[in-house]
Amino acid sequence: VKLDLAIAGHGAVTPAGVGVEALFSAEPKPQMLAPLGEPKRDYPVLRVDLKDPAFTRWQKEPRLRRVSPMTFFMIESAAQALGALSPEERAQTGLIVALSAGCLVYSRRFFQGILRDGQRTASPALFPETVFNSPGSHVASVLGLNGAVYALCGDESAWLGALKTAAVWIRRGRVRNVVVLGVEEFDPLVLDAYRSARWLRRPGFMASEGAAALLVRAARPDDPLVLAEAHESLPYRTRAEADFAARELFLGLDEVIPCHRTARGTWAETLEADAAAGRPEIAAAPPPHLGLAFTASAAWETIRAASALTAPRGIVPIWGLNHRFGRLDLARR
Amino acid sequence: MAAPSEPRVVVTGVGAVTPLGETFPESWAALIAGRAADAPVDIFDTSGCRAHRACSAWLPDLPRFSRKALGRLSRASRLALPAAREALAQAGLLDRDGFCPRSNLALSVSTTAGGMAFGENFCRDVLAGRRAHLFSQVERYLPQQQVLDLQQDLAVSGPSVVMANACASGANAIGHAADLIRAGESDCVLAGGFEALCELVFVGFDCLQATTTEKCRPFDLTRSGLMIGEAAAFLVLESRAAAEARGATILAELAGYGHGTDFFHLTQPQPTGSVLVEVMLAALREAGLDPAQIGYINAHGTATPVNDGPEALAYRALLGDVLGATRISSTKAAIGHTLGAAGAVEALFAIAALRTGDLPPQLNLREPIPEIAAALVAPGEKQAGLQHVMSVNLGFGGSNAALVFSR
Repeated sequence: VKLDLAIAGHGAVTPAGVGVEALFSAEPKPQMLAPLGEPKRDYPVLRVDLKDPAFTRWQKEPRLRRVSPMTFFMIESAAQALGALSPEERAQTGLIVALSAGCLVYSRRFFQGILRDGQRTASPALFPETVFNSPGSHVASVLGLNGAVYALCGDESAWLGALKTAAVWIRRGRVRNVVVLGVEEFDPLVLDAYRSARWLRRPGFMASEGAAALLVRAARPDDPLVLAEAHESLPYRTRAEADFAARELFLGLDEVIPCHRTARGTWAETLEADAAAGRPEIAAAPPPHLGLAFTASAAWETIRAASALTAPRGIVPIWGLNHRFGRLDLARR
Repeated sequence: MAAPSEPRVVVTGVGAVTPLGETFPESWAALIAGRAADAPVDIFDTSGCRAHRACSAWLPDLPRFSRKALGRLSRASRLALPAAREALAQAGLLDRDGFCPRSNLALSVSTTAGGMAFGENFCRDVLAGRRAHLFSQVERYLPQQQVLDLQQDLAVSGPSVVMANACASGANAIGHAADLIRAGESDCVLAGGFEALCELVFVGFDCLQATTTEKCRPFDLTRSGLMIGEAAAFLVLESRAAAEARGATILAELAGYGHGTDFFHLTQPQPTGSVLVEVMLAALREAGLDPAQIGYINAHGTATPVNDGPEALAYRALLGDVLGATRISSTKAAIGHTLGAAGAVEALFAIAALRTGDLPPQLNLREPIPEIAAALVAPGEKQAGLQHVMSVNLGFGGSNAALVFSR
């Protein structure tokens, strides 16, 4: 699928700090946290520091009084990406959020409250914030993005779906610009999920959280770098299907096109090593490890690859860990 | 208006599992007959809730699945698979082995909760210290897993997107599918939505006091809340050229789609309905139509105190003097609010009205909202020669969407 999108702005919130520069700075220090179902065993987790001064202005917004952490990650990333875009331009800007488990912190608290205290005491303050599209609505409202708002669910490959949707909106004239966001928030319950999937046994695996945003518009001939194409692999359920889908994703690609390695610490790392073997890397040195944050990770790696690419083309594999893989093709002009 | 150079988008197949029937024709017949499906909830405990009734669907048999394989399917997939198959079969896109011959078929689907019951069980077991079967629950609860169930059952592997725009998601999924076709990204998309009853969502609406403890009465002054429902519905959308080239029967044209976001409040529409008016006008502009040309509107009409008033004002503002000529009803009194599936199910009802002239009656009326009382459909009402209909949905987060279907 052709995207032909230019990056007009970008922003990031990471466990290493707030701002795109944090994607390239020192490795963040993990905290040791326990799963809910195994309180005596700790695992390393990368968390965003919500006490960072960058979040203070958002915490004072009346509409954001009750929101979950992911909304703060999103709004700060989106605000960085929008930069000084005028209110008139913002009014013609849409928002597409790609997310995996959504507002997991509030969903878990809401359901845990039901289990612990009964249905009669369920919290009406929490429930609306558990809905997948609520954070996007808050962000668009506070930042004055009047285009349209979509929330797309999925594994990491939802990031590609969001970019493709942005391209369609722009091509059809629905909006002029789109803020595309990838976001994930951490809750101890995910450690239980990762433990059940045996992901915590992998060396280098770390649960993480954060967000990144791209402000995209239609590419012009003088844009130095474009998001050129997006490819989705076959969907998979078994490991054999995943192996096949990974190989197919790289099939027929010129071996001199550099690749940005993105699977670090996950079970897809060996697939990536096989599929991208012998291919040059986009970045001269591996950037700091930011752990697994699903669509946020996909968005972080897109920014990293776009910043580091010097060759005419480059590829960013998107290793969706629960449905399908994908590939984002970058072109430098 | 859609650019003249863009492909026109048509509907060639529909399918649904609703609380009124295991197929779309069954559901439609029951709807037109004025039946309502609310019953006591029996798939989870509601003893601590205000409301205890919902519109549950009867899960169709899935003969292609073993008992073990059925056990791995979420309730959402149990609803979605037969509905998708029905739509593809009507479109002539299932082969003799029951697979879709277009292996690159794109999917644009919607839900708000996916396979949430698996997620609930996972959370329950973790908190209780139980360790067995955790992975099988957590790996299947996210919405992309229901998409994968569809892809595996139908043997398709094209691009897919899961729209989660709350209760407007179904209309967004259909509108997005049309966008893909008009943008030339695909010439055939299976679009629709699914939603299965689950405790978290039921209790969520109940704690907001949004659910009714008596009858669901959309657009009535005595309305007291919504009835939660569950369903799945799918449409096969194609470019007109592709449909005609293969000789497919065209059921309707998807002529316009409008969507927007109302920032008034996370769970309440702007009191005058002005954002919804803009969204409906956007859909009409894309269709190249005036409001007066719409013969029937399948309204969102949740029957909550905060929704129906502004929505009625929006119809009044949109239609003005021709309000009575346009017929309006909310089918949620019959099938409940099916959340992420609502936009898809209700689009199918609008298409069926367009094709048959039968109009879904507005059930459970006692004192109709005066602003649109003249437009609400009476039982047994028909309207011959309908040319254009609209389906409207609103959702949490301020998601608004409107679809226009034409003959």
